[in-house]
Amino acid sequence: MQQMKRLLDIYVALQALFALSWCFSDGEPGPVAGSQSNGDRFKIEGRASVPGVKTQDWISTALILVEGEEYVGFLKTDGSFAVNDVPSGSYVVEIVSPSFRFDPIRVDITSKGKMRARLVNYIKTSEVIRQPYPLQIRSSGPHTYFMKRETWGWTDFLMNPMVMMMVLPLLIIVLLPKLVNTNDPEMRKEMEQSMNMLNPNPELPDVSEFMTKLFSKGSSKSGGGNKGSRSVALKRR
Amino acid sequence: MAWLVVRLAISVSLLYTASAVFEDQVGKFDWRQQFIGKVRFALFDTHSQASKKLLVATDKNVFASLNSRTGDLFWRHVDKTGPEGHIDALLMYGQDAVVVVGNGRLLRSWETTVGGLKWETVLDTGSFQAAALVGVQDLVKYVAVLKKSAISLHDLSSGSQIWVENLPDSDSVQYQTIYSGGNGLLFVLGVVPNSHIVIVEYKIEDGEIMNKKSVEAAWMSSLESSCAVISSGILLCVDQITQSLYTLSLQSAEQTEMRQIHLQTLDLEVASGFRPVLTSTQPNPAQPPLSEFFLQLSPDHHILLQFKDGLIAPLRDFSPSYLAAFATSGERTVAAVMSPKNDTACSINLFSADTGRRHLDTTVIYHMDPNGGKPNRLYVHAFLKKDDSVGYRVMVQTEDLTLTFLQQPGRVVWMREEALADVVTMEMVDLPFTGTQAELEGEFGKKAAIQDGLLPMVLKRLSSQFILLQAWLAHLWKLFYDARQPRSSVKNEVTIDILSRDEFNLQKMMLMVTASGKLFGIDSKSGTILWKQYLENIQPNSVFKLIVQRTTAHFPHPPQCTLLIKHKDTGLGSLYVFNPIFGKKSQISVPALPRPVLQTLLLPVIDQDYAKVLLLIDDQYKVTAFPSTKNVLQQLQDTASSIFFYLVDSSQGKLSGFRLRKDLSTELIWEVVIPTEVQKIVAVKGKRANEHVHSQGRVMGDRSVLYKYLNPNLLAVITESTDTHQERSFVGIFLIDGVTGRIVHEAVQRKARGPVHFVHSENWVVYVYWNSKFRRNEFSVLELFEGAELYNSTVFSSLDRPHAPQVLQQSYIFPAPINTLEATLTEKGITSRHLLVGLPSGNILSLPKMFLDPRRPELVSEQSREENLIPYAPEMPIREEWFINYNQTVSSVRGIYTAPSGLESTCLVVAYGLDIYQTRVFPSKQFDVLKDDYDYILISSVLFGLFFATMISKRLAEVKLLNRAWR
Repeated sequence: MQQMKRLLDIYVALQALFALSWCFSDGEPGPVAGSQSNGDRFKIEGRASVPGVKTQDWISTALILVEGEEYVGFLKTDGSFAVNDVPSGSYVVEIVSPSFRFDPIRVDITSKGKMRARLVNYIKTSEVIRQPYPLQIRSSGPHTYFMKRETWGWTDFLMNPMVMMMVLPLLIIVLLPKLVNTNDPEMRKEMEQSMNMLNPNPELPDVSEFMTKLFSKGSSKSGGGNKGSRSVALKRR
Repeated sequence: MAWLVVRLAISVSLLYTASAVFEDQVGKFDWRQQFIGKVRFALFDTHSQASKKLLVATDKNVFASLNSRTGDLFWRHVDKTGPEGHIDALLMYGQDAVVVVGNGRLLRSWETTVGGLKWETVLDTGSFQAAALVGVQDLVKYVAVLKKSAISLHDLSSGSQIWVENLPDSDSVQYQTIYSGGNGLLFVLGVVPNSHIVIVEYKIEDGEIMNKKSVEAAWMSSLESSCAVISSGILLCVDQITQSLYTLSLQSAEQTEMRQIHLQTLDLEVASGFRPVLTSTQPNPAQPPLSEFFLQLSPDHHILLQFKDGLIAPLRDFSPSYLAAFATSGERTVAAVMSPKNDTACSINLFSADTGRRHLDTTVIYHMDPNGGKPNRLYVHAFLKKDDSVGYRVMVQTEDLTLTFLQQPGRVVWMREEALADVVTMEMVDLPFTGTQAELEGEFGKKAAIQDGLLPMVLKRLSSQFILLQAWLAHLWKLFYDARQPRSSVKNEVTIDILSRDEFNLQKMMLMVTASGKLFGIDSKSGTILWKQYLENIQPNSVFKLIVQRTTAHFPHPPQCTLLIKHKDTGLGSLYVFNPIFGKKSQISVPALPRPVLQTLLLPVIDQDYAKVLLLIDDQYKVTAFPSTKNVLQQLQDTASSIFFYLVDSSQGKLSGFRLRKDLSTELIWEVVIPTEVQKIVAVKGKRANEHVHSQGRVMGDRSVLYKYLNPNLLAVITESTDTHQERSFVGIFLIDGVTGRIVHEAVQRKARGPVHFVHSENWVVYVYWNSKFRRNEFSVLELFEGAELYNSTVFSSLDRPHAPQVLQQSYIFPAPINTLEATLTEKGITSRHLLVGLPSGNILSLPKMFLDPRRPELVSEQSREENLIPYAPEMPIREEWFINYNQTVSSVRGIYTAPSGLESTCLVVAYGLDIYQTRVFPSKQFDVLKDDYDYILISSVLFGLFFATMISKRLAEVKLLNRAWR
């Protein structure tokens, strides 16, 4: 709400500007709809095109909506259009097609029938960015109605942070012992030292050691350890 | 910069909320059917022999080209709704079709192969009377348009106006028809009712008046309905009072009065009270019409007559006959006549127009639908066969707007149900269980459990399981059997007998009520029409209300729907009770409604047959209950003190609340008057009865709860100012408690006007209006909260609410016009809500309610981020991915119906307007079923991979252990 109030203030300030620009545009020799006028009714003209598509392939499904369904026009076989019988005012002209996207344009018609086209801006409603009149509307491509499915690829899988976290330590575990000669007694000593440094309390039983002991005991005890391990594997699934 | 941040925030939040269609889902669970409406003009393209085009103009302002072989649309153009887009006339010559639109406002020429406009010209003001193609020397070059006071001639190839002339004495003479026989002259015929006929003769080249004469015709009131031009410029009129035909030569100067021919001399008589109709034909606009014509003397009596040398001779008498029409192919003109054959079928025969002789082997049998209406229009497409005989196809339109295209000897080529172009109201009903499913359900019935002991129940259980197994095996067998058959021979016909509820209750029965009074039962999965029923004697502008009294849940009681049909002006109504699954009229006796019905009320009270009780309140505030058995009346007496209802009188700006008394009379409790001088009530809406709200409140960023104000009796009343000036107009909204009449909240939107579309649900109201100052549409949302504590958390009572709710409101700019608005609905209300917005472009936008949240902060804080609130942005985004109907646009969408399915994530949506579109939406994505793209191969390959890896590693470990033991 606050935002809108602020906008209102802006609007008042811009109103003056708008009036000014209106005067300027009055001075310009704009296309006068005198010959086309029918009483106080005017005609909005223009041409629409879709790059790379023949007009007859899309015009039968398209139509021109002026201010919603207030006034409706149809496209001619050459892509041009005219919406007749429009009184003076300000309108949003939009070409509606189920396959192609067109940007709307605002058309202002003065009571004398002078026309001007500008970009639609719903927030700064008085901002004027002139567009050519008669309208030249080019499609900005086909509509993108559909979302892309997430497809599964190896790269996505590998670049997943979880996978990275799993794979990198594995590589280190597998590769490091091969790089370092463990048979070298000096090296071994050094490693033991470093391990001790890491382990602040040597009295504490090592968890991993404890676990391996426990499991190896279990498997050696029961002859049918195979079955047990198998059931574990099954359960994990 | 701030803008960018906001945009970014929105787009990030969208990643999680967007529900969109994937390309592979196209047509999987959605379908669209396109309609055109009631055909007013239909012309077959006779330009070339192989042409399949059928041009139609309808009362829905549609101009379309149909494929006459299949009934599909080649293209369709929908003009503005209302009289401004109304198609007054359709003329066709060669590849061009000329259309007069909007009471003679515009003249358009269409290129019929492409479906594009050739030219369009604005005509002078004045109400349209007639239009005709004008030919000169065997070439059709012009089109003439007759207005009330002027006539203009336009070039057929460019549309440019050749000349326009004012008609003489146009204030006293009613000019009604034009005629041109291709001899360089154009006749304008006018009439002064009950006095004389005026004939003005124009020269085609420059519009000069060549001749003008008036002829006495005291008996004539209208030219259009009783006259036709036949032969080389002979005006023929019929009058039922004097029982005679009148002829007048248009060109000859000497004939100054009409020649009277008594029908008696021809042994004919017009049926009393029937207005006789003359039908003539002019196959080529550049040549004079034929001298043969049809005269209809009674609803089922036509006669083919010939005018020759000033005399009229009957060629053939068709009695009985319903419809007759001329058709021309090449040089030969034929007449097709539809006559009744027996009670259920009609036969159509072909006769040569010039002799009245019947063509052999040309009978087409037309079977009438017993649940449909009578045929009322006949369109004939005649063509020359290879052996130079005339073949034909016919299109029959019936009262219930069914278009049937028939071929010899009576094969229905296609059928269109054009009544569906004007759906008024609809409901979705669950399909019934199959016998086996019902058996299972019955097992848990209360009665059974009490009567039987433990052992019989076990046996019953086993037997029903066995039945299920049997059914499953039969299903498997059928699948296997179908798979062996070639694709084409497997019929995918959906019939009512094989329909049953599916596992997730996604397939339902759509009940559609159309303006013409035809009811349809449509399968929501495939769009197949399962039953249709035409209700005769429905007034043209009736109001319908469809009520589901008993669902399919009460086996063995059949489901029951009630349709209240109300006349728009008098308010007198009648009830039609039917079974929604089979479309059969129920035998239940219906209460007579002698007084106008003001309001209906469906109570949660049920009678002993599980039908909900419907209360009808008439204009003397008396209540009629339906069904009104003793049981129901007893229940009503017990609960009367807690039954309240409201009435709206928008003409007096009065809202009033009533309470039911024990004797089924009513007492006025409250009254709210909204002065009509300032504003008028536009719409009143309560909440939907089948809506569930899952969470009582919203968890805030600081872990406290903001409780929703969930008043089931709340009414949202929308008003519009009577002053329509741009600066002073406003839109008002009142939230009124329907039991106490207390105004809970009121808000006014200044410098705004309607049309207002709104949705009232849960604890919020969303409404759209036109901001006349900034010339844009704006959304406004009102949300009501009780606060941090609930007043009475166990039960809600309107009578005991000491605290007024907190109301939050926010408004947004919506960058498109709106046709209709609805909210999604799910079974338990856990899924987040979306708003479905019908746009004039025909797209249906699924807008997350998240964007319409008055708590959207201007400045992002830690707490608002915790709550997942999107920062406030004035403009509402519209993304193409949110269009749930992708390129399947729904022309002039008028309503959207939403229904919950058995899956919490899924909401069924039907959008209707000129077209009907059915789909499913998943506002929070499909969280309760596996996704469509669930990768079964990946998951199973990973599983198998792991399995084999364990096997191999186990083996390896064993070997290693063995080796170690040996060491």
